[in-house]
Amino acid sequence: MQIQRVVRDLVTTKRVFWLQAKPLRVVEDYKGNLEVALDPIGCKPGDFVLTIGYSAARIASGNPKITTDLTIGGIIDHWDEELWRS
Amino acid sequence: MKIFQVEGTLVATARIGQLENRRLLVVKERGGGKQVAVDPVGCKPGDWVIAVGSSAAKDAAGHKDYPSDLTIVGIIDYWDEDTPAQGGKR
Repeated sequence: MQIQRVVRDLVTTKRVFWLQAKPLRVVEDYKGNLEVALDPIGCKPGDFVLTIGYSAARIASGNPKITTDLTIGGIIDHWDEELWRS
Repeated sequence: MKIFQVEGTLVATARIGQLENRRLLVVKERGGGKQVAVDPVGCKPGDWVIAVGSSAAKDAAGHKDYPSDLTIVGIIDYWDEDTPAQGGKR
């Protein structure tokens, strides 16, 4: 799992059926690289989250048929920029 | 399997149900960045551990439907980070 920060929402109206209506968020890692993660929790921009990758992302989405390779698994209670980049 | 050093526990109260109440640790890969791993073993900060990734991580965390992509599978008894690898490649 990775520690990433939520940047903003992402809206894709036209999408494959197996993404269903799951909310998507743009997340960044400590280097500033952007990725898109499925969000089953409901995160705000600025939240530090732990993201689950690979095939575990599909289980974490709540339905193993959902086609995702990155899913937010939880919001981290205490974390800051300095810890993140060190 | 990769070698990591444990940095500390990670508290995430708002989490998906499938993660259950398992212990999550912040681990740092040798020469790499921080990641989060599920800890079914019971590690202390500073321990050198081995961890499995991708689909083996799910089984190692307990059952096939556990959503982990990195799970600690053992604590290394002795690891000296300053000793170069044998074989002269480093």
